[in-house]
Amino acid sequence: MKQKLTLMLTPILVLFMTFSFAQEKKVTGVVTDQGGLPLPGVSVLVVGTTNGTQTDFDGNYTINVSQGQTLRYSYLGQKTVSMVVGASAKMDVQLQEDAEALEEVIVTGQGSGIARRKLSTTVDVLDAEDIDKLPANQIDQLLQSTTPSAQIRLSSGQPGTAAIIRTRGPISAASSATPVVIIDGVRVDNLNSNPQLGIATGGANVSALADIPVESIERIEYIKGGAATTLYGADAANGIIQIITKKGKDGKSAAFFESNVGVINATKDFLKYDRTADVIFQPGWSQQFRVGLSGGSEKFTYNFGGSLYKDDSYNDINEQIRRTFTFGLTAKVTDKLRYQGSFSFVNFESNLDYNANTSFSRFSNLEGSARGATDEFTDAEFAEETARYQRIGKLVDISSTTNRITASNKFIYDIDENFQVNATLGIDNRNTVQEELLSNALQVELGSVAPGTTDQGELTRVLRSAFTVTTDINLTHKAYTDNLSFVSILGGQFFRSSDRQNRLNGSGGVDGTRSLNNFSEQTFSDFVLENSNYGLYFLENVGIYDVAFLEFGGRLDKNTISGANTDPLLLPKIGLTYNLSDHDFYINSGISDVVSTIKLRANYGEATNFAQPFDQDKTFAQNPFLGGPSFTFDNQGNEDLVSERVKTTEFGLELGFFSNRLYLSGTRYMGITEDALFTPQDPPSSGQANQIQNIGEVENKGYEFALNATLIQKEKQNLSINLSYNTNENLVTDSGGAPPFVVGGFTVLGSVVEEGQSLGYLRGTAAILQDDGTYAFEANTALGDTFAPNFGSMGLNYTYGDFNFYATADYQFGGKITDLSFLLRHLRGTDDTGIPQELIDLGTSPFNYVNYFVFDNDFLKVRNIGASYNFGDIAKPLFSNIRLGVTVTNPFNWTAGTFDPETTGSGISAQNGFASGGFAYGTESAPRTYIASLRFEF
Amino acid sequence: MKKIIIICTAIFIFSCTGDFGDVTDFKDVENPNLSETSVVGQPNSASIWLTGLERQLALVFNETLVLSELGSDNYVNTQTFFNQFMDGLEIQITDPDMRDTQRQIQRLRELAVFGIAEVGPGDPNYDAETEAEFNFFEGFSYLLSGMYFSALPQEPVGTPIPSAQHYQNAVVAFDAAIAINAKAEYYLAKARANYYLGNKSEAIVAANAALAIDTAFDRTVLFDESNGPSNTFEDALYERATFDDLQPLPTLDFLDPKYSFLDPNEDAPVHYLKAEEAYLILAEAALSDNDIVAARANLTALVNLVDTREVRTIDDSIEQRSQVDEGSRPDNADIIVNGRTGLVLDRQSGQVNIASVSGTSLTTDDIAAMQDDDAGLSLLYRTRQEVFIAEGLRFVDMGVKLVIDENEILINENINEGDLGTTPVIPSFISAVVADLDAITYNIGTGVASTSINLNDILVANKSSDQVVPFE
Repeated sequence: MKQKLTLMLTPILVLFMTFSFAQEKKVTGVVTDQGGLPLPGVSVLVVGTTNGTQTDFDGNYTINVSQGQTLRYSYLGQKTVSMVVGASAKMDVQLQEDAEALEEVIVTGQGSGIARRKLSTTVDVLDAEDIDKLPANQIDQLLQSTTPSAQIRLSSGQPGTAAIIRTRGPISAASSATPVVIIDGVRVDNLNSNPQLGIATGGANVSALADIPVESIERIEYIKGGAATTLYGADAANGIIQIITKKGKDGKSAAFFESNVGVINATKDFLKYDRTADVIFQPGWSQQFRVGLSGGSEKFTYNFGGSLYKDDSYNDINEQIRRTFTFGLTAKVTDKLRYQGSFSFVNFESNLDYNANTSFSRFSNLEGSARGATDEFTDAEFAEETARYQRIGKLVDISSTTNRITASNKFIYDIDENFQVNATLGIDNRNTVQEELLSNALQVELGSVAPGTTDQGELTRVLRSAFTVTTDINLTHKAYTDNLSFVSILGGQFFRSSDRQNRLNGSGGVDGTRSLNNFSEQTFSDFVLENSNYGLYFLENVGIYDVAFLEFGGRLDKNTISGANTDPLLLPKIGLTYNLSDHDFYINSGISDVVSTIKLRANYGEATNFAQPFDQDKTFAQNPFLGGPSFTFDNQGNEDLVSERVKTTEFGLELGFFSNRLYLSGTRYMGITEDALFTPQDPPSSGQANQIQNIGEVENKGYEFALNATLIQKEKQNLSINLSYNTNENLVTDSGGAPPFVVGGFTVLGSVVEEGQSLGYLRGTAAILQDDGTYAFEANTALGDTFAPNFGSMGLNYTYGDFNFYATADYQFGGKITDLSFLLRHLRGTDDTGIPQELIDLGTSPFNYVNYFVFDNDFLKVRNIGASYNFGDIAKPLFSNIRLGVTVTNPFNWTAGTFDPETTGSGISAQNGFASGGFAYGTESAPRTYIASLRFEF
Repeated sequence: MKKIIIICTAIFIFSCTGDFGDVTDFKDVENPNLSETSVVGQPNSASIWLTGLERQLALVFNETLVLSELGSDNYVNTQTFFNQFMDGLEIQITDPDMRDTQRQIQRLRELAVFGIAEVGPGDPNYDAETEAEFNFFEGFSYLLSGMYFSALPQEPVGTPIPSAQHYQNAVVAFDAAIAINAKAEYYLAKARANYYLGNKSEAIVAANAALAIDTAFDRTVLFDESNGPSNTFEDALYERATFDDLQPLPTLDFLDPKYSFLDPNEDAPVHYLKAEEAYLILAEAALSDNDIVAARANLTALVNLVDTREVRTIDDSIEQRSQVDEGSRPDNADIIVNGRTGLVLDRQSGQVNIASVSGTSLTTDDIAAMQDDDAGLSLLYRTRQEVFIAEGLRFVDMGVKLVIDENEILINENINEGDLGTTPVIPSFISAVVADLDAITYNIGTGVASTSINLNDILVANKSSDQVVPFE
């Protein structure tokens, strides 16, 4: 036995002996900041090796190192220090603050990175720490309630469905207001509605936002339209969300493994009938595993992240699965050339139930009392009804699978210390397959074909391939004189996107197949959008005494969605920033102890939105008709079609008190959309389809206030809160003589564009009580603004040592929304709440008194409450830290009405359409989830 | 060495001049859709254009049938999917169905006019038959304008012209078609225009001319079930099944659903110009001329023709005859409606036989007993109602007219609110009974049902009105 052990140990001993020649010794020490406080997380690396470690929570480190080797200590915001290992076994280090590195640099919208304090525009930033805390798997859910001036409204609780995102009001009648999304400089597909040929489930649609990779995010920058987005030109008027991914850091390799498990419960707060929950709600599980690796040396850093996620939702049929991996790296190719690359892959599978606008929708039928009010059913009737709906649920078969690959390459070449070339090249490729199988069994169960039917099955498959290539190259030059600084940027950007859709239909099939080959009748249609956009931009940022900054620049923009009679657009921007509190006299005065920051900002900038590709062309259509071709008119064409131009002026003031522990930011903005793209009704006598034209003008004005306060700031304890309040006044100032037109909802109760009203306001026939007790029916009555003119978010963050607690919420008030489920109940005679009997007795259509179905859309919703605890190195040496986290999402709601004003799935228009969000209808609210996570760091 | 330099230079120059530019030129985009030059001036474009007109006609009927059948006493809408206003004849300029109906009718006209002016002359293979069809479709767009609207523009943003003028324009266009290539249905279309104009003798001549060509002709609007447009009215009557959107008047139950599932490729057609109409016009003209013998002969010919038309045997068990509650409307064969039996079918016990072209309860005994009096005229109108159910003519026979869409009024400088065409036309004797148009009483226990009014009698009672019964 002993011999065997010796034999086994010999190779290991040999290994150890090999290494022991280097005469290693253990070095320990403490790293502190310039105030003498210990710095945790400082990277300590043996130069020229991959051997490294990090300081613990008390700034202590231990490393095996040989005498004569050099240790490098680096930490964000501190100057890096290198020290040669001498004879001593103890090396304490004090790091000095690096003022320049501490300045937060904003990349998005600037061509190149520019310090935030030099900018006249505002930007909302979410860093890795904020993001890691949130349990969300979707970019819109991450931003909801965490960005101070964005309204993000979850339109349905079904997996992968789209949120309406808006910042400074509805600026366009021709887009959904979804910002451009950029990952490491590369534009990605942001289709936030059903594709043109997509499978209509009656409202809730899977959005491209659902599969934007959210793994390994270093930070998210969200810039609103106006001067901030001028350099992007093109369709950037709705703002830009840029995701900057992790690419690893020079220092010790680190890894983590995280496991999340959660319970998903439907939100029952808004149900009309409790029994709806009994029929279709069913708590589900969510499960997620995440891993991450990162590290690197001076010349090369890397980061890898991967995750697997699955949940089976809050009802009996929905499921979603997400598989992702990402990696990012940086390489110092030469002293002058650096390379940054990132790659991500997302696979997203989900299924939907039918919603709202289809008679097949279980939820809508239950809540709309299509088959009677369930609360009046006997137990036996209800049991039968429940069984029927559950049988239908098992047969509903609508699925969506997306595979998305995004890759970015960035090359940075330093010609000299002050002259840099940046080049970016990247792609985003998103492929989606949607399928709907309408089996004979389902049709029989729904009662739409006779029992016994076996040959009327239908299968629809929609294939969408979206591809975008982005290139950008710019030169950045910095220059300094005694009192002035100059940052000059000159660049060119090009992107091209294509969207190819095919819809394949099989009908007349038997059950048991998912191959279109097996259907007796096969049809298909296709849809193509293709666009290329190119622009030149320049920007000059002049610093005066390092306290005031003047920026000016612009973009010359051209794209292939403009008519033959048009010229490239020149989009200018100019801004001024004055950091009054950065003057020496101010810093030295006593006031700065109280008012620590005074910053004034003003800017003007233009950005655009373009129409749908090919809208400018006059075309004819050849439709298949009974086996042969048939011609008809198609698009009328518009040789004068150009992008609509949003001109934004902003004034802002930022005030910090008590070393910025209380920080207030206020902005006044005015945005005017000129040449607004309207698609009014063509006169019916023309017999032609409606044509998009640059005939409108839309105005948005408002204030944005944000407050951050650190109420407790002690060595081990920190409490901060944030609160924002935003206003928006929206008005269509000119409709170019076009009559009002509907951009959402129904014509008799629509979201309408009309001169003198807000964009997409609610309009319909109202019953007005007259003095003599009769009712007058007034057609085209304004019933309210769909976009809530007051909104904001709030949050709280408390840390005590290793314990963290946080909560976020958001709110809105002042807008209006239609409760369509109520309208349906009323039509079916099951709900007359609040409607005068005399009116009902008139026997007229409820569409003649729609004012009774419109309510305030006010709400306050607590989105997340979470807590985490870092156990530290209790499991040393296995793990360097173990973190336990718990979060609850959507725990509390307060709304003005009895329904959920967010569930506007049916209010999101078709591709490139307007999203009014003015109709709550027939789909479930975002569920309540309870998630526990355990993270092991190595 | 020199050679190598030359070869290298040549390769370099070649690489610069080749088509490699395409690899790096990403700016060009290509619209995959058809431009005008791919349509106008191309061989065979006229016949493809003609198919486009046939398809457009399907789109027109998808608008007109729902409105006109709901607006008449034929059908009542018990659900929310289709128009919510027409049952109560709430005809409003803001109703999107008004807009869509006139847009489709006027698109039919624009397509026909473009076919005559551009596509036909540009096609080397343009033939007389196609040219006649283009003229027929132009005429039919005017006919529809006259049937459903009291006034409507006859050109883009033109001055609205009254119904009678549209009928006359239709006659001119049908004459042009007849001159090029006479067909029975062209004559019938001309007969219909004259019928509604009250031009009895012209209507008789045209109806006889139609029957002289073919005594059983039947022109249909075709629908494409797989590629669309499918038959919207078939959806309402049959395909939406248990949603039971549209319910017929119990006196017409045996005629419903005229349209049902055919096959996955083609949807049930609408028989919009059929020989039956010629016989009915001739019979009505004869009654008006107090010629009961001729009227009986025409009606006998009609019944004989109806007997030869297709009857489909279908499973209609998915219809529940519900008005919110299941079985709340007459739903079995024993039910007596207005004192008559055999009008209601039992759809729950086996398949039912439904006439898919024309059906009627008119019997040879009825004809033999028929007299030249109001009762006889009322019987004729009942027969018109039965034969033309789900074809949109009952609404026209009621003298009701739709209105010009609000957008047209706002955009078109030639129209002001209040002008002819911008307010609905509802004869006073119709507006007096609007609430009763679809009203029935039904005693489930006794199996007795009755309609609240007999609209045929009301029409005949008001035959002197120039809004209805055109030959009187």
